[in-house]
Amino acid sequence: MTDAGLDIRDAFFDELYDIAAADSDVLFLTADMGAFSLERFKKNLNRQYINVGVAEQNMISVATGLTLGGKKVFVYAVAPFVTMRCYEQIKVNISGMCLPITIIGAGPGITYNSDGPTHHAVQDIAIMRALPGMVILNPSDPVMASRMARISYESHYPAYVRIDKGRLPAIYSPGEEFSDGLSLVKRGRDLLIIATGLMVHKGLKIAEELKKHSIDTAVMDLYRIKPVNVSLLLDSVSQYGRIVTLEEQSIIGGIGSAVMEILVDHGTMVPVKRFALEDKYCERYGDREWMHKHYGLDDRTLLNNILAWL
Amino acid sequence: MDISIDFLEKKSRWVRRQIVEMIFNAKKGHIGGALSCTDILVSLFYGGIIRYDAKNPSWPERDRFIMSKGHSGIALYAILADLGFFPLSELATFCKNGSMLGGHPDRNIPGIEADSGSLGQGLGIGAGLSLCAKLDSRKYKTVVLLGDGECYEGSVWEAAMFASHHQLDNLVAVIDRNQQCVTDFTEDCVRLEPLIDKWSAFGWEVTSIDGHSYKDILHALNDSRVDGREKPLAIVAHTTKGKGISFMERQLRWHHGVPTMDELETARKELDVDLCEIVVEEGKK
Repeated sequence: MTDAGLDIRDAFFDELYDIAAADSDVLFLTADMGAFSLERFKKNLNRQYINVGVAEQNMISVATGLTLGGKKVFVYAVAPFVTMRCYEQIKVNISGMCLPITIIGAGPGITYNSDGPTHHAVQDIAIMRALPGMVILNPSDPVMASRMARISYESHYPAYVRIDKGRLPAIYSPGEEFSDGLSLVKRGRDLLIIATGLMVHKGLKIAEELKKHSIDTAVMDLYRIKPVNVSLLLDSVSQYGRIVTLEEQSIIGGIGSAVMEILVDHGTMVPVKRFALEDKYCERYGDREWMHKHYGLDDRTLLNNILAWL
Repeated sequence: MDISIDFLEKKSRWVRRQIVEMIFNAKKGHIGGALSCTDILVSLFYGGIIRYDAKNPSWPERDRFIMSKGHSGIALYAILADLGFFPLSELATFCKNGSMLGGHPDRNIPGIEADSGSLGQGLGIGAGLSLCAKLDSRKYKTVVLLGDGECYEGSVWEAAMFASHHQLDNLVAVIDRNQQCVTDFTEDCVRLEPLIDKWSAFGWEVTSIDGHSYKDILHALNDSRVDGREKPLAIVAHTTKGKGISFMERQLRWHHGVPTMDELETARKELDVDLCEIVVEEGKK
């Protein structure tokens, strides 16, 4: 069965269900957060499904104890809460002891648009990538989301997986390994857009628009935010005269920062423009499209700003 | 297991002597809380409560001990070295450049189960280990040592709720109730009392003991091995911060004070035990 068209969260959890059904040492801890596809897990694999209540700090510590005891643990909650509310526990227990626990954050960026800044995860990349040993994954389509469940299950490192919501169009074909950490999803000659997650789709749209202005734009999906595949990134970047980074994350510390750090540290001098969320909380609410407009990340504003920069 | 109280008492003096010497040597360290929990730790490790294998620290059937009040790890270092988890000579390196023994314990040290130092996390880890034992039908128990000041952390109570809900009767929390936090007395700072009622209200079986009475400690801990209990066990151990060295007892400045040479000499006299003496049980010499 192809995962194309499947809800991205369901794609991840359906694969995790199969993994857990085959390995009774896999445990799923949730801080009282559900999902359509988790109902089957809860019903059929009841002994492996533990709702710890709205207590993210304890969820991380309990996951730590279970892992020290030999279990393979996945923890799940809304992205801002499962990273920031329990950051200290993640730092000391998971990162500090380098335990192979997978943290699943539902709703990265401004997925939970009109729910406001409490529910927005726009600093999580910045803080999570500061933790030694932490692998950060951000699937951009259901095929990749499904594969990432398997990758994190087989990993010996802590992992943070940011999972969007809804039916994102398929970019990849089933069978992809996703071991490179990044992928050029559209080729081009003049400009390279580097994006992650949902914004890869926006990058593809902008690339189409730029074509009308005779700008042949490539799009890179940086799906493994940490560790970045530095050599592959540098190889790819060297073929372009200009680079745009595009993310639904604070301008401080996200993938734009990560890319810049690598370019600077390797003496790669290429003009870069970062498009991200301004360093301020939103004060007006709306759906995701409206919020993008509010933050200047809607297609038209982005296009105009890129053209003005070029 | 028949344990001589005299042996435990002398072992505690030897551990306290090590603590004082290590802190004097390093010119830093949390001394007061290490001295308050020494008798508890000695009872756990020499009183036949914690099952361990110093030559195989990851022995699967060992009991798990979590030093949640990580700042008192120095007391545990002395015990682990004495038991053979690592050479005694390592103690002299405490907090020195390149030492494996830092101010707070981590898993690189043989015998340490989990990193600690940031308060309020050990009980959740202990609950996870206890749940794991239950899921796998394994017999090991988990003992977590918490400071009373640590009970200000909300995560302690998240874990307390979780442990009682899951009927983790293989989990024991020992609270070192020395009545002091870093800069204040707990009841003057933010009241912890009624502490027993709090643990009880969270669904724990609670017992209150004198944390310097080996008889009390061993009785409470041995009770934790009785099968058939449905609740986790909290032992509120009333202790004295700075215990064993008269001028340090109940004095706020000895949370992490460093003794002067004169103070060290006084402490040595009061503890009255030779640092090089190998303390063993009567009849086992």
